Amino acid sequence: MRTIPFAGTLRHHTSSNMPKDRTKEEETLSALLRDPATVREAFGDVIRLYSEPLYWTIRRMVGDHEDANDILQNTFMKAWSSLENFRGEAKLSTWLYKIAINESLSHLEREKRRTGISLDEPEAAAAANIAADSDMDGERLATLLRQAIATLPEKQRLVFNMKYFDDMKYEEMSEILGTSVGALKASYHLATKKIEQFFDNID
Amino acid sequence: MTTSIKPKRNRRVKTIQPIFYQMARQSENILQTARRQGLATPSAGLKVPDGYFDAFCRTMSDSLPFRQEIEDPEAADKELQPKTFWAKIRPYVYMAAMFAGVWCMLQMFASLTGAGKLQPIDDNPIMASALSDDNFVMDYIYDDITSWDVLDEMLEDENIDAGTIMDGLSENETTTEPQGDYILPQ
Repeated sequence: MRTIPFAGTLRHHTSSNMPKDRTKEEETLSALLRDPATVREAFGDVIRLYSEPLYWTIRRMVGDHEDANDILQNTFMKAWSSLENFRGEAKLSTWLYKIAINESLSHLEREKRRTGISLDEPEAAAAANIAADSDMDGERLATLLRQAIATLPEKQRLVFNMKYFDDMKYEEMSEILGTSVGALKASYHLATKKIEQFFDNID
Repeated sequence: MTTSIKPKRNRRVKTIQPIFYQMARQSENILQTARRQGLATPSAGLKVPDGYFDAFCRTMSDSLPFRQEIEDPEAADKELQPKTFWAKIRPYVYMAAMFAGVWCMLQMFASLTGAGKLQPIDDNPIMASALSDDNFVMDYIYDDITSWDVLDEMLEDENIDAGTIMDGLSENETTTEPQGDYILPQ
């Protein structure tokens, strides 16, 4: 029986940000995921390693905890069911991010069809969600920032979250979202300008 | 002494640029302020139930279904092996064997009940012996012959005397049409 090198250490990982210096860990995990003897245990470590950062990414997209929980489950279930498609060419985190974001966007699309609210005009719905969110911290700036982000169009919101909160490089974002670096920079710039306008209107 | 007056254009540039940079800095400041206050983390301003992530990891790991393709690929490969020639024709062979079995069973029943081969009627010994029996022929084949037909036959036969026939008739009823069965003279 082979042992998983990171089984102990990853279990206690509590960082909220997506891991930055985990290339070696990811390579080892990718190798373990390809081995039938260790694939299940290795995937358990993948869940322990990425559930929290993926959760926050999803949560910032969809807003609600229950929705984020469901989407996170779907994300790992899809990753598990299509694990043979992951060949280690891309980073493990990139692959998981792709699945999570696609799941989030699908959820938002379903919600749009259900409620009839356009994804590009989410201000009213987003503000209502944030106001009704009982899990929200009391800090005014955090609330306002969330509200400002919620007013952004879907793509800009994604880019802003990935850049501002996850501190992700444009190159990696480009790989995940399939958009050019230039377009991502423009999206981020527009997002910051809209957030500025939001705060100006409050003042 | 000459005094130099700065061109208007330069002054305008100088007045516009600070406003633009101020705006840019202002937007940057809001985000930087949020970052300084620790709000640039993904979980800032959001809460989850206590122990959520530990419970999620445990539940998620336990709920992963067994996947033979990645956990036991050798067994999966065996199932996915290409069909051999025998595997391809096996259903047809089984079907042919079933029909052959049914045919054999019918043959066996036929031989047991004696209803084996059907012979042609011209060359059938049973039929030949039956037809050679006059009584059988009269009873079963010519049973619809009337007495007048018999008389006609007798009259046409030269060996039988017409007087004898008439005597036989006078002894019986004298109706225009004979009733009942006739016993022909031997």
